[in-house]
Amino acid sequence: MEPMDIVGKSKEDASLPKATMTKIIKEMLPPDVRVARDAQDLLIECCVEFINLISSESNEVCSREDKRTIAPEHVIKALQVLGFSDYIEEVYAAYEQHKLETMDSLKGGKWSNGAEMTEEEAAAEQQRMFAEARARMNGGLPTPKPSNQDPRSKVSSVKQTHFFPSPT
Amino acid sequence: MRQAGTYSGILTGGISRRTGPHSLPLARIKKIMKRSGDDVKMISGEAPIVFSKACELFIEELTQRSWMITMQGKRRTLHKEDVASAIVATDIFDFLVNLVLESQQQQQVDGASARYGFIYN
Repeated sequence: MEPMDIVGKSKEDASLPKATMTKIIKEMLPPDVRVARDAQDLLIECCVEFINLISSESNEVCSREDKRTIAPEHVIKALQVLGFSDYIEEVYAAYEQHKLETMDSLKGGKWSNGAEMTEEEAAAEQQRMFAEARARMNGGLPTPKPSNQDPRSKVSSVKQTHFFPSPT
Repeated sequence: MRQAGTYSGILTGGISRRTGPHSLPLARIKKIMKRSGDDVKMISGEAPIVFSKACELFIEELTQRSWMITMQGKRRTLHKEDVASAIVATDIFDFLVNLVLESQQQQQVDGASARYGFIYN
């Protein structure tokens, strides 16, 4: 490789991680199918180019609406304009799903959703474990707190001051 | 702790479900977005998530179309040429035609230099 090539390529530094992309590509195909390395590279380049394209259009959509930040709605509009309307339904579903998940983690998992229940379940499990440990401790060993013993001894001494000695 | 296994099992189950939809790194996507033009506006935190899903769908479509061409050739290995053919055959992939031409030119240059020993810049 010429030095000039390397300098040129460093300008387009940001690419997508090859391992993740390869995984996505392979999941689409039957297990025995191979993907040539140059094909993988081209697919990754295409994806980057796709992001460039949609970004540019989203930027335009955003400007036209006089907004300062590119929002998901602008991206969805861009997809529509560029002929990728087929993607919109799934993209929107993923976005909604993410919104739900973010809300759940902010509110400490109070919404009933299988994944978010783990915190509550874990906390409950922890409480059960503590209670069990406490029970084991109280049952097998004498209570360490002196304040508990005193009233008991007082009670027993009160009993002993009866006229008729009570059998101990 | 004897019950640690169940505890970590619950945790792992929760985490793996959540990483489903967004496999592509959002920071990387944001980086690419910022470089896509000269005056790109600020990007909301949620926009990369939408992009991540769109990219997955895009890769799926391109891969599937390429694969159909591979099958037509009765092969089991997906080659660069299959991807190129899929791009040329699909209208909405017109924006990728330049990439294909560039890679074809590069191949020709590499082939020529290999044959004749020239080095092209």
